[in-house]
Amino acid sequence: MITTTNPPLLIHPLAFPSSNSGMSLDDAQIVNDSPQVGFVDLGSKRVSHGSRQGDVDSERFSISMSHREIDDGDARLVYVNDALKTNERFEFAGNSIRTAKYSVLTFLPRNLFEQFHRVAYIYFLIIAILNQLPQLAVFGRGASILPLSFVLLVTAVKDAYEDWRRHRSDRIENNRMSSVLVNDRFQQKKCKDIQVGEIIKFSADDIIPCDTVLLSTSDPTGVAYIQTINLDGESNLKTRYAKQETLSKVAEKDRIDGLIKCEKPNRNIYGFMATMEIDGKHLSLGPSNIVLRGCVLKNTNWAVGVAVYCGRETKAMLNSSGAPSKRSRLETRMNREIILLSVFLVGLCMAVSVCAGVWLKQHEDDLEILQFYRKKDYSEPVVENYNYSGVGMEIVFTFLMSVIVFQIMIPISLYISMELVRVGQAYFMIRDDKMYDETSKSRFQCRALNINEDLGQIKYVFSDKTGTLTENKMEFKYASIFGVDYSGEKTNFEGEQRGYYIQVNGQVWRPKMAVEVDKELLQLSKTGNNTKAGKQIYDFFLALAACNTIVPIVVDTSSPAEKLVDYQGESPDEQALVYAAAAYGFMLMERTSGHIVIDIQGERQRFNVLGMHEFDSDRKRMSVILGFADGSVKVIVKGADNSMFNIIDKSVNLDIIKATEDHLLSYSSIGLRTLVVGMRELGVPEFEQWQSSYETASTAVMGRVGLLRKVAINLETNLEIVGASAIEDRLQKGVPEAIESLRKANIKVWVLTGDKQETAISIAYSSKLLTSNMSQVVINSNSKISSKKSLEDALVSSGNFLVSDDQDAGGSDCNTSPPVALIIDGSSLVYILDTELEEQLFQLASNCAVVLCCRVAPLQKAGIVALIKKRTDAMTLAIGDGANDVSMIQMADVGIGISGQEGRQAVMASDFAMGQFRFLVPLLLVHGHWNYQRMGYMILYNFYRNAVFVLVLFWYVLFTGFTLTTAITEWSSVLYSILYTSVPTIVIAVLDKDLSRRSLMTYPQLYGAGHRQESYNSTLFWLTIADTLWQSIVVFYVPLFAYWKSDIDGPSLGDLWTLAVVFLVNIHLAMDVIRWTWLSHASIWGSIIATCICVIIIDVIPVLPGYWAIFELSSKGSFWICLLGIQIAALVPRFVIKMVIQHCKPSDIQIAREADKFGNSLELTGQEIEMNTSRR
Amino acid sequence: MNNQVTNGASKSKRISKKPQYSRFTQQELPAWKPILTPGWVIASFLAIAFLFIPIGLVSLFASERVVEIVYRYDQDCVPEMYRGNVTAYIQNSLTNKTCVENITVPKKMDPPIFVYYQLDNFYQNHRRYVKSRSDKQLRSAAYEYSTKECEPKERVNTTPVTWVPIVPCGLIAWSLFNDTYNLIMEDKVLDINKKGIAWKSDKNVKFGSNVYPKNFQYGAPIGGGKLNESIPLSEQEDLMVWMRTAALPTFRKLYGKINTSLEAHDTITVVLQNNYNTYSFGGQKKLVLSTTTWIGGKNDFLGIAYLTVGGICLFMALNFILLYVFKPRPLGDPSYLSWNRKTVS
Repeated sequence: MITTTNPPLLIHPLAFPSSNSGMSLDDAQIVNDSPQVGFVDLGSKRVSHGSRQGDVDSERFSISMSHREIDDGDARLVYVNDALKTNERFEFAGNSIRTAKYSVLTFLPRNLFEQFHRVAYIYFLIIAILNQLPQLAVFGRGASILPLSFVLLVTAVKDAYEDWRRHRSDRIENNRMSSVLVNDRFQQKKCKDIQVGEIIKFSADDIIPCDTVLLSTSDPTGVAYIQTINLDGESNLKTRYAKQETLSKVAEKDRIDGLIKCEKPNRNIYGFMATMEIDGKHLSLGPSNIVLRGCVLKNTNWAVGVAVYCGRETKAMLNSSGAPSKRSRLETRMNREIILLSVFLVGLCMAVSVCAGVWLKQHEDDLEILQFYRKKDYSEPVVENYNYSGVGMEIVFTFLMSVIVFQIMIPISLYISMELVRVGQAYFMIRDDKMYDETSKSRFQCRALNINEDLGQIKYVFSDKTGTLTENKMEFKYASIFGVDYSGEKTNFEGEQRGYYIQVNGQVWRPKMAVEVDKELLQLSKTGNNTKAGKQIYDFFLALAACNTIVPIVVDTSSPAEKLVDYQGESPDEQALVYAAAAYGFMLMERTSGHIVIDIQGERQRFNVLGMHEFDSDRKRMSVILGFADGSVKVIVKGADNSMFNIIDKSVNLDIIKATEDHLLSYSSIGLRTLVVGMRELGVPEFEQWQSSYETASTAVMGRVGLLRKVAINLETNLEIVGASAIEDRLQKGVPEAIESLRKANIKVWVLTGDKQETAISIAYSSKLLTSNMSQVVINSNSKISSKKSLEDALVSSGNFLVSDDQDAGGSDCNTSPPVALIIDGSSLVYILDTELEEQLFQLASNCAVVLCCRVAPLQKAGIVALIKKRTDAMTLAIGDGANDVSMIQMADVGIGISGQEGRQAVMASDFAMGQFRFLVPLLLVHGHWNYQRMGYMILYNFYRNAVFVLVLFWYVLFTGFTLTTAITEWSSVLYSILYTSVPTIVIAVLDKDLSRRSLMTYPQLYGAGHRQESYNSTLFWLTIADTLWQSIVVFYVPLFAYWKSDIDGPSLGDLWTLAVVFLVNIHLAMDVIRWTWLSHASIWGSIIATCICVIIIDVIPVLPGYWAIFELSSKGSFWICLLGIQIAALVPRFVIKMVIQHCKPSDIQIAREADKFGNSLELTGQEIEMNTSRR
Repeated sequence: MNNQVTNGASKSKRISKKPQYSRFTQQELPAWKPILTPGWVIASFLAIAFLFIPIGLVSLFASERVVEIVYRYDQDCVPEMYRGNVTAYIQNSLTNKTCVENITVPKKMDPPIFVYYQLDNFYQNHRRYVKSRSDKQLRSAAYEYSTKECEPKERVNTTPVTWVPIVPCGLIAWSLFNDTYNLIMEDKVLDINKKGIAWKSDKNVKFGSNVYPKNFQYGAPIGGGKLNESIPLSEQEDLMVWMRTAALPTFRKLYGKINTSLEAHDTITVVLQNNYNTYSFGGQKKLVLSTTTWIGGKNDFLGIAYLTVGGICLFMALNFILLYVFKPRPLGDPSYLSWNRKTVS
């Protein structure tokens, strides 16, 4: 179906934006389809409370995973309270943890072994070994091993320091005390001595030492509250349950005997599957029965559990591995050029060895007489050839020796420099106060350290909606109650009256969060039950306060007379509704498994919770059966609009239903999430019938979930409509501006969401992703044929809009044709992805400025990313916050996790993590641009730096009879890349800024430099190589001609070459520095000074042949003239070309820099446009 | 509160506090941001030109002032009868190697006049050759036996003691240049001062005053000059000069200095001993008399190079002036931006 209209088009009158009672229906239910079963249980709401519900709960898990029944062979058998027997047959890990890698003894071998995993070090090693062969000894032993040992030492020291810190924290961790049941008494035991099978007791605020299955808690219903902030970063309290069957047992008195059969240790922190055999009964255990290492027990006096996973097998430890490693685009390209450089290297070596062979052949007869060759060794009794084994072998030896001499042609130091630079860049990204999130108090995190520069070349951004574009902090906005819309003026109690509160035992209790309330509604809600409107409002808010799974927790404040009620729950929607009810005087005070207490306008009322049908993604609603004080029983249902309208009795109150539908439509069009509430009074026979079937279903052994669902569906019929609520999932701060910036930067933003189409479109409008001048192409198909047809039609019609190609679509102010927005849903994608239709989708999508994918499953998200990745060279970035974004984050070139409300799986899978979507703008436009520009320059410079030195050595070899003599001392050769020239390139690559942050943020178009690969491409590479060749020729031949036929000695000329080349590469770098901070000055001029000092030091060692050479050399004028002339002559061509390009074909960056310096704006004024046009 | 928990996820969370502002962490250190405006470009080219052209002229002038007499004698000094078999002539110690030739002074030469010998095609920088020396042994008698690096000229089988180290060992010392020159002008011997031809540092530090030549040039084959075994190495300046191995295959080495001035058209008679074998590798031997200036010997290269670079820079300055005049581009002109160009076109 294709529609082409300007304002948002709602396809079906009943198709309201999604709403749900689950924490994120859209996300959760989609996850259900994915193989990541473990996350389902997090996403969907657990409504159970108390032991019975706990049973239902765990049953649900086990059934949902029944296809993965634990196989005996894979199972781990834990005998409760019998550590000996448990550990008898299986070697389970003890609880001592060891994050440290090395011990004193193993450090050296193991660290070396790990370091030599890198190709670079192997190269170093092979060269060093080659050099040890007497035939090939080019460098002295010390000089040949120095570079390798230097790098190894630096890395080893770093590793040792890190490991020492790990040792220290391990020790603290292992020596914490915990209370363990030994001989029927709880005794203090060191944490590291806990074994699988032992029973452990925790007190409030204890950190759980290992993964334990709960047996009993201080709560009579077996609830324990835990905080998992250390595990997944979520700060709200989670409930865990002890099994009813074990609840009553007192560990000290009743000897608990049982067998737990559970999965092998795995890293899924949201899944646990086990069965417990106790007193002959089989119980199933799920994730709600286990508390994991690292969690903290809260609001529970004590809890007793049995250890099932210890030490390194705990889920926390299994999860503490590092981020996935990706390789940056720039590095991949660089490796191609490194292969080219190796070809050059082999070429140079071949040239030298062949020439050497020819020379030897020509002089073969004279070798014995030549004073400088002396083939035979007369120092031995038998006169033999000395170091000469025939022309053929000499060629081979010369080849290998030249590899040793020219080894730094392959810039191994570059890999190390790159790592250092990335660490430096990461430091600045983490420290950037513009990327610090005040609300979640989180800094930017660099989890992957090797793709910093990719941030400067992103072309596609794939974004999740909920929690990424929006805050996922729900706020109650409007209510429609019995057909009356209350969306009037709001007050927020900033003044004297601070929201609703109640008095309890002389203390003031107030909700933790104040909600803006509608004045009229507030007034009406106070009139009580008497008027008709009052009665309706009463029903509505009672439903909101009762029909949920929120647990109120009373928190102390600074003043003893005041307490805050904190509503804990896993669904932000429900929290918002309960806070709203509280603000209108319906304050939920207490919830246990059997009843709830609600303070209604100051009057405390108790309701019996007779039953609860939790939310599931098929019904898309939940219901609670409430027994009132007067003996009446009501079922209250809350759910998504389309699921609710099907079960609402349409025979009465048709006008109310109609009005409600209208209200829902208007709410959804401004991007609000809506929920519909219905209610029905149950007659006694109906209630009894329900009760019996409910009991049967909830005690059923097999298929409990299905039975319960059937019971619920039977019950939830013929409801009377009560009203609808509208919750705002607010856009995060700065999202529209961020999207506008990204669009200007010619980055395509695609939104991939599990939400419904209408919600997605309305959010897209409010985030300025869609604008009214865009034509929309909508594809909703249910079969392959219709998808195909839709795609073809869309291609044709989108082709009509497009005059220019897609490159221009990003230019926001291009007025040639309206940009096209593609809106496609998950069910169509099912028929498109992984089929031949992909190609068409890709073409269509690349024609579109905006792509919105709704109702997509996590794997489809990854599929869409792959669609782009496979077909273009463009860099992709995925950003999301939830478990359902993990696959997309891992698939994209760069994955970014938002550390938000939905847990931390996204962050854990990501390469970078940050608090807000809008930080994407400074991250990409500023840091990404800088990183890319710096890294690109550094790579080219390093190629140049090493090649120019190698070439200088090579030219000299041509004048030594091709015998690989180096005039430059071996120590200078070695120090060249370690000391003489290494620091400035790193400092500049970390600190230099081609443009100011302000320019980059003001003109996002400047980001195009990365798209066009302006900092690193083959043209630049070949230019660099040509420049290198010229510079090496100047460095070498100027002294050669100046000192030809003179009495200069080798070491002196070598010193001149050393100084000339080091000065040259440093001045070359200085020419390209854009911002001179004191650090740049210090590093560049410091390197030059350090080189001079080193050369002098080398020349005052009397046993080296070059003793005093530098002093003799520098006492003559020709030395200084040479040195100066070399610098200028070598750099003039580069300078000329740079200036010509800068003047005739200035890059955007160049112009922006000039504008920045001289303070003019980069906006075209009308006059300039005219001038510009007329000039053409 | 639970700082001790070791858990990858928790650590990052713990340190979450606002980064402290500093100009360094925000990458806002005060910086000098030079931009090469047309003015600067032209100025720098002109500056280079005005620096280089005078230096080039001065160097060229200095080089021109040097008076140099180069006389190649390796061909002329072989008697006619041996021209066919030069190697036999030079290797035979019994042939008369004395050779007399006349050279004319082209211009007035002021003292000090340096006497050099020049060898062509002699690879004193050959890898085998440069490594074949023992600096330790040269420095101190205590290290007489550290001759390991001197292969293939390390030790020698003498009678009565077998296999004793050679001092100084190694190919370099062994191949010591041994042609000698005597200059006679108007029947008077021109004094060639052979003191002070080596570096002071060599005399004082590098060559030991307690090291005496031993077993040097003992037995065939003999590579070159012999050394007086009663003079310590620190006095053997010819050896020192020779052992400062030349950087390039064509090189000069200082033979001595003449401290009298030579007038133009003076004729000097050279009486030389043509002992050194360069014939095996086709090398040339030349005698060089040269004065020096601050730039060294006669070499026009640097002067010409400077003039060329200076000239090119002057030329570039003119070109850039023309470029900026005829094709000006206002700095920071937004109409050159890629995205503006696209819209306008």
